Amino acid sequence: MFERPIVQAGSMAPERITVMQGQAVVSSDRNVELSTVLGSCVALCLFDPDAHLGGMNHFLLAEPPANATAASVDEYYGTYLMELLVNQMLSKGARKGRLKAHLYGGANVNRNMMRIGSANADFARSFVQREGIELLRSDLGGSSARRVDFRPASGQVRCRTVEDRFAPPVQPITRPAKAFGDVELF
Amino acid sequence: MSDVTRILTVDDSPSMRALLNHALTAQGFDVAQAEDGLAALDWLALNEVDVVITDINMPRLDGFGLIERLREGSRHRDRPILVLTTESSEEKKARARAAGATGWIVKPFDPAKLVAAVRRVAH
Repeated sequence: MFERPIVQAGSMAPERITVMQGQAVVSSDRNVELSTVLGSCVALCLFDPDAHLGGMNHFLLAEPPANATAASVDEYYGTYLMELLVNQMLSKGARKGRLKAHLYGGANVNRNMMRIGSANADFARSFVQREGIELLRSDLGGSSARRVDFRPASGQVRCRTVEDRFAPPVQPITRPAKAFGDVELF
Repeated sequence: MSDVTRILTVDDSPSMRALLNHALTAQGFDVAQAEDGLAALDWLALNEVDVVITDINMPRLDGFGLIERLREGSRHRDRPILVLTTESSEEKKARARAAGATGWIVKPFDPAKLVAAVRRVAH
């Protein structure tokens, strides 16, 4: 795949970091470009314009456990994944009230996963809305895979449709065995 | 103590507060919400509660600060305080314990385990 990075005149060639499913990456490095290819998966990009800091995650949530709420995806795990990205941003100097969001992905690329792609897009949109984070731009749904390139230090984003074969095959993620809310009483 | 267990949940994320509210009210608990440690202190100055469930990473006053402030006074010295957090470090767990936390619960929480913990400490 030949892709030109978002290069500004006079700047060095960027260090491109691929954000894989299940990851969250935060950086304030002006030379870093975060990239990902999304089919049914969704990426949330957050940016604090005052701190010149941004981050991206990449997720596809599974259906919730049988004993959970009637949601269409595992909101408990999804909210946790979102909180990890937000907390990484805050720990590096971002302020929640300044955060701006972009949302991409959630395409119905695979007919068998149509519902889960849309459900993930709905979850992500609802999360951003509930948190009171300003949504600058979203490109969700449809039937085409997307490539997203995000400059975390400047907030500059480019999203393009790509051939579906570039979207990596994925499975909805379920909570890892360790992530079941263990309780320790002192 | 009233018949219904009263819980104050303290978390800066409205999404997390909504999940907690859903999980706890479904089990018959009376749930109030605060968005950070200072809002929790304001609420606790005027209201009675049986259990506090608090996040760690919050603006203005974090979970450690909230626990320390509650343990300083006599009114909430013995109040059960459960920490609910994405933090997994032993150092932070030890700090919460030293500050006077009653228990440590790791996100993403399991509603059944959370409810069991609340019932156990809210005697």
